[in-house]
Order: sequence, then structure tokens, then C-alpha cells
Amino acid sequence: MKKCRYIIPFLVGALALTITTCGRGDKPEADGFTIALVMKTLNNPFFIDMQKGAEDAGSKLGINLIVQAAEREVDVEKQMQIVENLIQRKVDAICVTPSGSKEIVPAIVKANRAGIPILVVDTRVDAATLEEAGGRIATFIGSDNVEGGKIAAEYLVKRLDGEGKVAILEGIPGHETGDARLSGFHHVVDQLPGIDIVASQTANWERDQGFNVFQNILQSHPGVQALFTCSDLMALGAIEAIAAAGRTGDLIVVGFDALPEAREAILQGTMAGSVAQHPSEMGRIAVENAYRLLNGENVPEEVPVTIELITRQNAGSDSTPSVSR
Amino acid sequence: MTPKDFLLHYGRQFGTLIGLLGLVIVLWILTPYFLTISNLLNVAQQTSINAIIAVGMTFVIITAGIDLSVGSIVAFSGVVLASALQAAIPLPIAILIGLVVGAFCGLVNGVLITYGRLPPFISTLGMMSVARGAALLYTGGRPISGFSSGFRYLATGEILYIPVPVIIMVLVYVVAHVVLTRTKLGRYAYAIGGNEEAAVLSGVSVKFYKAMVYGLSGMLSGLAAIILTARLNSAQPIAGMMYELDAIAATVIGGTSLMGGEGRIIGTLIGALIMGVLRNGLNLLGVSSFVQQTVIGSVIIIAVLMDMALKKQRK
Repeated sequence: MKKCRYIIPFLVGALALTITTCGRGDKPEADGFTIALVMKTLNNPFFIDMQKGAEDAGSKLGINLIVQAAEREVDVEKQMQIVENLIQRKVDAICVTPSGSKEIVPAIVKANRAGIPILVVDTRVDAATLEEAGGRIATFIGSDNVEGGKIAAEYLVKRLDGEGKVAILEGIPGHETGDARLSGFHHVVDQLPGIDIVASQTANWERDQGFNVFQNILQSHPGVQALFTCSDLMALGAIEAIAAAGRTGDLIVVGFDALPEAREAILQGTMAGSVAQHPSEMGRIAVENAYRLLNGENVPEEVPVTIELITRQNAGSDSTPSVSR
Repeated sequence: MTPKDFLLHYGRQFGTLIGLLGLVIVLWILTPYFLTISNLLNVAQQTSINAIIAVGMTFVIITAGIDLSVGSIVAFSGVVLASALQAAIPLPIAILIGLVVGAFCGLVNGVLITYGRLPPFISTLGMMSVARGAALLYTGGRPISGFSSGFRYLATGEILYIPVPVIIMVLVYVVAHVVLTRTKLGRYAYAIGGNEEAAVLSGVSVKFYKAMVYGLSGMLSGLAAIILTARLNSAQPIAGMMYELDAIAATVIGGTSLMGGEGRIIGTLIGALIMGVLRNGLNLLGVSSFVQQTVIGSVIIIAVLMDMALKKQRK
């Protein structure tokens, strides 16, 4: 009698297998391409903007756009699962903002094998890892983050008149985006003897950690005069810490991404500036290029999206960004 | 065994299985991409990491404990394993190191809970932070990547079209089922979870077996770390965040009671598959990730509600 307990799962398994073998192979949507946009997360206004740009382009071109993202920005394995599932879904092209520059490579290789073109957006793939794995991408669409770091540094130095104590809030170590912004910033600042970097710590891209970490920095380095953060979310946390210390307006805070809330802060004077990246442009260009690719047209290996410094002068204007090709 | 006995014995797991099949049928109707051999293998592969961690979690929860440190142990074992691989230590030894690091962290949990008399929640919460910090310290916050194809075979390889992680998962479940039903460790786990004092009085060396259970959970986290590292070709100190919640969810959906003393390993596999199928299906359907989180949370709540209702009926 004991064997009884195994019979039902077996029957069910057999049934499932039968269903599978007579599975249905037909495609539902015959007309129009299906293009997927896989982002790091949707918990960041930056990616919401990107989604908006992609959706606008998608509806204009008659594309069936699927937008997916992992629950958390750091979850590289979830992102890989999403890409695998989209390969099963037989989408025509995948646009992806890698959660990890190296960790995305196995997923890219899988898409390559399935013959699905990959367009990389915003965050670069590690070139050496990609080459070693024999993977290839159709194009990269994004801003030059090193250049953005330089622009932020130059503005910050100008506001400090060339000397002062500066703190930095970094992104997650090993993230290409944050590392590039940081290296651009250092490229300018390290040559200036008047600029003293008193602290450089990670707040893991997060707003609440930006608050906590900068509060600690304010405790240990009360003389700090300026702050550069690798993203606006961390800056928005930090200005709350500055407010809590009763020092609003004392410090020059320069962020990155020019989020709507950061623009607001710049107009109010709690932040000095931010570097704008135009994520909605990235989303739009990604979808447009995927469309071109699927129509057999050539796309450039790299499509730079312009970056600009946002300060009090232009924070209010909703300038449509120009795109350099 | 009469049909009534059967239902009494496997009723809960049977209900979970019906749930999984219902889900499969719904997805089969909604999307043609779901019920294909390649997608089912894809789901099985994606489920394997959570399913393996959930085996350890099932043992722990049967003893009426909890292990919140599994995700951090995945990260710490992963980075230690990765550095061993990069130091050109032979593959089998590096893999052993990964398992031993996991088992060690788990045993520390076990010793703190038994000899230190800490509640499992506190001890493993502490370990969650300690192991995460250790992983970050060990790597300076940076991922370690790039391994030999021999190592990567553990995630990318296939035997008779079946992905290697799926084979590992099945082996783990077979062994775990035997351990839980046929060995002292398994029987005492139920006894401890059912009534710890009674177990002590009847001469079970509760401390030893409890520590072993946490060690097992840690070791399986180490095994999951091996597959994860091979899969991503990279070990990240921030890997495995919130894995504990996925593993607890799979265990609970599978019918293991958080009060301890009852649960079955096959139920946990079905629970892990429900979560994997749900995520996969929602991706295939192009459902927004906000909705996905809500759906998965609801499924956990509904599963436990059903469990409680079934229990009442049986009484």
C-alpha cells in the first residue's frame, strides 16, 4: 500500500508530459515586433523615465514592448532569469541595462545562441568578459559617465574657488556606472592641490544610506564644504542629513542623474547642481535602434546620449535634450 | 494505506501539487511559450538555487527554528570559493571549501542556538549580518569573476538535455527525503520540533542534532553558492540578498508548519516550483514587476490560509 503515495504525482507528471508533447507552437501576435526592455529596477525614477521614452517610441512604431525589471537593483541573478524567460518568450530583440557589467555576460551569450539581438543601454558590459565568453552585442546606447564625472568635478571646483574639503558618496563598488563617474571626478580633482578629499564612502545607490553615511561623515569631518554623490538619490538623502545638522545651504552638493526631485532641490538651493543623463532618450533610442536592426538596417556600434550640467539657471526649464550621433 | 490515511498523510502536499498544476494549466492557456520542454527545463534550472536552500530551511523549520542567514552564507561561501578557484586550487578542493565554509557558518548558528541558548531568530539574524560583512570585507566590496569552463559546467552543462543544476537539485531532494524519513537526524528533527522537552526526556541528544540541522542548512547554502557562482561566472559579496525569504516561502507553501514538528521535503520542492513557475509565467506574460511582487506575496498568504483551513477540517 505504501507505494500508493507515489502514484498520483506520477500520473500527474505523465499528464503534464502529454500536454507538453502536444504543446502548441503557434505564435499569437503575427504583426509587429516584440521588443523587451530589461532594466535594473523600477524603484528608481531614472528607470521610470527610461521606460517612458521606450514606451513612446514603441507605440509610435507599432511595437509590442515588454518592460521587465528585477525587484532589487543588485539582483543580477533575477535579471538573468528575466532574460532567460524572454528568450523562451521568443521576443525579437532585448534591450538591457546590466545590473552587473560582468554578470550579465552569460545571459547575453544565451540570447546570442537563440539569435536574439541584444542592445545594451546605460551601463556598459565588461568588454574583456564579453570577448572571452564569445558574446556580442548589437550596440551600446548611453552617456559617457567619465565625462559626466569630469563635468561635475569642474563645476564643484569652480564653486569652491579651487580649494576646500570635499566628501564623496560612491555607488556600489564594481558597478561600471558609479566607477566611471568616480574616475572622471578624480581625474579632475586629483590634479588640484587645493582640493582635499576627506571622505569617500559608498551609500550603495540608496537614499536612506545616503542620509546615514553622510550624517556620519558630517560628524567625523565637520569642516567638509562640498559633496559629490554618484547618484541623485544618495544626494537627496545627504541633503536631509545636512538639514538635520542645521547646515542647509552651507554645503555645495553636486549629484548625478538630474532627477525631478533633484531639480527641485537645485531650485530651492539645497543642492548646487546635478549632471543630466536623459534616460527617456536612452529608452527611446534603444527601441528605435532595435526596430532598425529588425528591419535589416545597420545601427552604429555605439550611440552616445548627451549629458549636461543642471544648475539653478536651467533646472526649471524642461529642455528637450539634443542627441548627438 | 487506505485513501483516508493517504489524505491524512499527504493531504497538504497533495493540495500544493493541485495548486502547482492549476498554475501550470492557467499559464498554458494564457501563453503558448510556457508549456514547452525548453521552458520547463528553464524553470527547473531557475528554481534549483532556491529549492536547494529551501531543503535546509525545511529541516530547520521542522525543528521549530528559522534560518535568516542563508542568503548571506551564499554570498560568503561564494566569494571564498571564487578566491580559491582563482588561486588555482584544484576544482574538487575548491568546491569542498565552498561547502565547508557554508557548513561552518551554519554550525556556528547551531552552537549559538543550543549551547548559547540564543533564539534561532536572533542567532541567524546576527549571522546574516556577520557573513554579509565578512563577504564584503573579504572582497573589498568587489565581485570576483572569471572561472574555468570546468567549474562553469556545474551551471551551464547538460546531461541528456537536463541542466546540471537540475540534476544536483534532484539528487539533493532524494537524499534529503531519505535523511528526513529514514535516519535518526530526520526523525529527531520532527521530535524536537513537535515537543522539544519530550525529546530531551526521551534521551535524544537535542543539542547535537539541532546543531547538525543548522550545519546542514549552511552547507546547502554553500552548495547553492557554487551553482550561483558558476551560473553568473562571478561571485558577488552582495549576492543572495533576501534569499532567506524565498526559501522560507517555498518551505511554507510546501506545507511545513512554522510551529515545527511537521513538513515534507517533497512539499518544499513543489513550493519552490510554484514560486519559480509563477515568476517565469509572469515574465512570459510581460506583467510589470510591481504586480509580480504583489502576486507572489498573495500566493504565500493564500497557501498558508489554505493550510490552516485544511488542518481544521482534518481535526
